[in-house]
Amino acid sequence: MSEHPVKEIKVDENSPLFDKTEMLHKEFPSDFRQIRYFTLLIAQTAPPDIKEINLLEQQISEIIKNAVKHGNKCDAEKKVRVWYSFSPEHAHIIVEDEGPGFKDLEKWNLFNHKRQNLLESQDFESLADYVSFRGTQADENDGGNALFAALEYWNGGFVFNQRRNCVAMLKRFPKRRHGVAVES
Amino acid sequence: MELKIRKNGENYIIDVNGEMDLYNSYKLKELVMKMLEKKVERFIINLENVDYIDSSGIGALIYICSTIKKMSLKLVITNIHGSVKKVIELTKLMGYFPIAQTIDEALKKMEA
Repeated sequence: MSEHPVKEIKVDENSPLFDKTEMLHKEFPSDFRQIRYFTLLIAQTAPPDIKEINLLEQQISEIIKNAVKHGNKCDAEKKVRVWYSFSPEHAHIIVEDEGPGFKDLEKWNLFNHKRQNLLESQDFESLADYVSFRGTQADENDGGNALFAALEYWNGGFVFNQRRNCVAMLKRFPKRRHGVAVES
Repeated sequence: MELKIRKNGENYIIDVNGEMDLYNSYKLKELVMKMLEKKVERFIINLENVDYIDSSGIGALIYICSTIKKMSLKLVITNIHGSVKKVIELTKLMGYFPIAQTIDEALKKMEA
């Protein structure tokens, strides 16, 4: 699993990030009220010395929320399946829902490309139109910014399967030597 | 999440206490919209006691910020720290939001 700068959401059914070998697994009903609880059940298995563990929890929560809300439309009959593996140096997550898949992926990448250009040119006035992505299914409570942060956070890759209802991601943490984090 | 309002001159400081997540971030949006109806023009949002924010929380801040900017009113967000700062940095919005380190600095920005 090579580390590379992620600038857009990719679709790659054959990505090694979909390898579930030796990963733990849980599945949940699509209950919006319990998203943070489900996330906690997963995040609490991570080593406590992981850097910024509450940030990890938040990032996992966003992906589970997308699966529950946008994938399964909060249909309690539909399940969200999560595979996960943690060490002090990595977090590897796969989240699958039973929905039709992320149809707006290309639209999102185009939107994010424009957003990144505006950020690079520090054009904050025009950026105002590109701070929140409104997909076709978005409602007023959607922040529209979760995937921007996800692409930055999951520095080992963030990739969808062909059907786009399953997303795999990897975070590499800095190596720790004698209790001091060392950026690689 | 608990919201408290205090007044300093013409400035209204909203102290946010707790987590700004998918279940409660709409409350801050609603409060600011009510204050706008009551003709409040200067807002300071104090995040000193917020240790957790998610995309809904960031979305609420974006909505508030864009609404206030469109109305040519004043807003400063202050005391952003820890993982809240990290999440805003990940979304690369530190340059978009009007930010001050402290309430005092926010008050000075209001006068500028």
